[in-house]
Amino acid sequence: MTSHDRFPAPTDPQAEELDADIVSIRAEIQKLQRRKRFLASSLLASDPIQKLLRKPTTSFHDEPTLRLEPPSNSIRRNSISIQRPSPTAPKENLLGIRIDVCTRGGRFAKPYYLLLKRERARGDPEKRFKVHRHTVPAFISLAKLQSVYLPFPGSGHDREGQEDSETDDVELSKASQRAKGARKQDLHAFVRELRRELVAWHLRSDAVELLREKLGLSEAESEAAAVQRLSPESKAGVISVTATAVEARYVRVEWEDGRVGRFKLTNSGIVERAVVIGDKGGVKQTEDAMTGGGGRVETLLDRLKEHDG
Amino acid sequence: MARPRTVRAPTSASLPNNLRIPSTSPSLSKTLGKLSRQSLLDLALTWLDDQNSASFVPFLKGDERGSRDDDDDEALPYPAAETVEEVRQIYEDLQERKGGKREVLERILEGDWRHGLTLRQLAMVDLRYMDDHPSSLRWTALELSRIDPRRKESASKNGSEDWSANLPRIQAASFVKALQQEVASLVKAHYHLARSSTLPLTFLRIFVVDSPYQPPQQSPEIFADSARIIYVAFPDSCPFIYTSVAASTGAKPAAPPSTSIATDSRSLQRLVRDAIPKALSRPHERYTLKATALAAKNLPTLLALRGPGRSTAANGSFSIFADAALEGSPLDPRPADTVSAEDHILGGQRRPLGTEDKENGDPENSASQKVCKRPSSRRDTDTVPLTPDSKKRRLAVESRFGTAGSSLNPAPLDRLDVRFLDALDSGLEDEEEQPSSTHPVVSLSFTGSDVIGGIRQLAELGVVDPHRMPSWLTGEEAVSMATVKSGQRVKMS
Repeated sequence: MTSHDRFPAPTDPQAEELDADIVSIRAEIQKLQRRKRFLASSLLASDPIQKLLRKPTTSFHDEPTLRLEPPSNSIRRNSISIQRPSPTAPKENLLGIRIDVCTRGGRFAKPYYLLLKRERARGDPEKRFKVHRHTVPAFISLAKLQSVYLPFPGSGHDREGQEDSETDDVELSKASQRAKGARKQDLHAFVRELRRELVAWHLRSDAVELLREKLGLSEAESEAAAVQRLSPESKAGVISVTATAVEARYVRVEWEDGRVGRFKLTNSGIVERAVVIGDKGGVKQTEDAMTGGGGRVETLLDRLKEHDG
Repeated sequence: MARPRTVRAPTSASLPNNLRIPSTSPSLSKTLGKLSRQSLLDLALTWLDDQNSASFVPFLKGDERGSRDDDDDEALPYPAAETVEEVRQIYEDLQERKGGKREVLERILEGDWRHGLTLRQLAMVDLRYMDDHPSSLRWTALELSRIDPRRKESASKNGSEDWSANLPRIQAASFVKALQQEVASLVKAHYHLARSSTLPLTFLRIFVVDSPYQPPQQSPEIFADSARIIYVAFPDSCPFIYTSVAASTGAKPAAPPSTSIATDSRSLQRLVRDAIPKALSRPHERYTLKATALAAKNLPTLLALRGPGRSTAANGSFSIFADAALEGSPLDPRPADTVSAEDHILGGQRRPLGTEDKENGDPENSASQKVCKRPSSRRDTDTVPLTPDSKKRRLAVESRFGTAGSSLNPAPLDRLDVRFLDALDSGLEDEEEQPSSTHPVVSLSFTGSDVIGGIRQLAELGVVDPHRMPSWLTGEEAVSMATVKSGQRVKMS
């Protein structure tokens, strides 16, 4: 449509005709889109589809109840095999693992991928797995996880670039023998731990986001309406809640009277430790209020309010 | 040996924030001149902000009377203001009207800060310039790694496994203090920590002098000497740091620590660089810096390739995974291969923003998006009808490069250096142009604004066979320096 020239004088009958055509085609497109939307939604709403969807116990949490094991169907682990594209790489397929994490509001985050290669260590009859490429954020140490669950003998001098950080983990893998017998690889445990860590991260950042929404600080204003905004007095004077880094392990809180604090979130959503600094005192009680009462992060503001009131 | 009257004493303290550089020094006006008018105004207004004006006091009437009564006001083009508010008003007025940056610059240097800019102000000017020009420096990515395995052993034994990476938690003030302790005896320095306004980074700017005297004896010119300035950038939540020091990494690993007396700025830089991991370390938690064979001019590139995000360990052909261009949400009713990669990526970006309140993989929304996206999403060769041959080639290129080097993944490398270790007779067949001398060392250097993107274009044009390209050429290895033996990148240790 952009190629259509707009003349200064639109009196040209041909141009007008074309314009009319365009208008009618656009209307047609819109009509068809609406029809498609309608069909799609009625299809999704139809009984058989609904039954199919409900088969596993669907319980999407729209509030971030920080559970370690999210509903079973919100995690899908797919394994696929992928050919390595590089001509110099061994012509063996990679094992791909996909981890889906369900976040707040029943949405899925971008899937995480793990691509494992099989390699034979020197003097080892069996091939072992090794992470080749992955899309796991850097603050989760895959090298540590690998050294415990996917031990690879002599992984110190890795030829592939990505696993550089393993050099100092050789000793660690020795230490991690524990009850694993002859250092067997445990792919299931590896994926389970990794997924647990990813889910915990998402839940932590969701919890911070929930607090922000309650305080009306969230950028996503449209969704903030869903959570009931707190009245000014129930905000307990908190003016800012922000995660200190991407991993959302530590959260910084600011009060309107100039107090600043920081708390640590555990994987299970408990405020583990809190530090508050202020000029006026009364700080110890605030700290206690943050960590006390079960320490759930979702109810943090309520506890602060009780403490204030 | 004509010494100025002020007493200089050798100390081990750092250079103070409020050390003033005479505003007449030409290097100062050169440094400020690099900034745009808008940036200069922003900075001046930051300095005059209520919170900051105490540390960046402008030149006021009171100072004038105190310092030099004999000077007559008329000789100066910028009469001193009475209060900070007045000065602020001047800059606000300047902001509202159009004009050259010259007037702002002169106003700053000859008017309101005629008594000199402080070191801190100079540091802010430099950082502002960096925010405006993210590719003004060449950055090297280094990896932080723990050198104390025993500590980790006990950590994994006590059951509460912590899989978070080895990220030292930095408290800015104590880190700078530790760094100062490390280098104080050798180097005198000024530190400035600031958060980048555009990128998830924290910058540390270190200015080094080799004089132990409190007001350094050198001429004020050295304060803007870029060779004496070291930048360190700490990206959020990842075990990497970036430095502007062209460190002894890559091709020449582990340069022997020279025992010569450190007076030139390069060895001062090295001293500081060596001190950084020590300053980050704590008892039972020691860190070291390792080279990661990546240096680039563009900070976003470093963030993409050695950053906290998804793309750090999935590049080149694997970048489709990093961008989640392969499949959509598990609730997406459409089969994955019917949706364009762009759509997946956009879908993935849209979701965390939470702009729309609908179900996952909402069919109508994405479908309508697809309708309007599909025709335009093809890159520049849009209009040319595809022959089966070029279609095949495009597929091959996409399978090798993924989204790297395309418009979707803006992480340009400005340089790629490759060194081949193969002996010619046994090695690669690509090097036939080399005469058969004994063990020549073949190295390749690519430079340009976007090396990987350029190679991708070559492959798209059919100049390079994408199937036979090694992975270090497609950006898969995410390095800018590579040593290659029989087609595979080898790690120099």
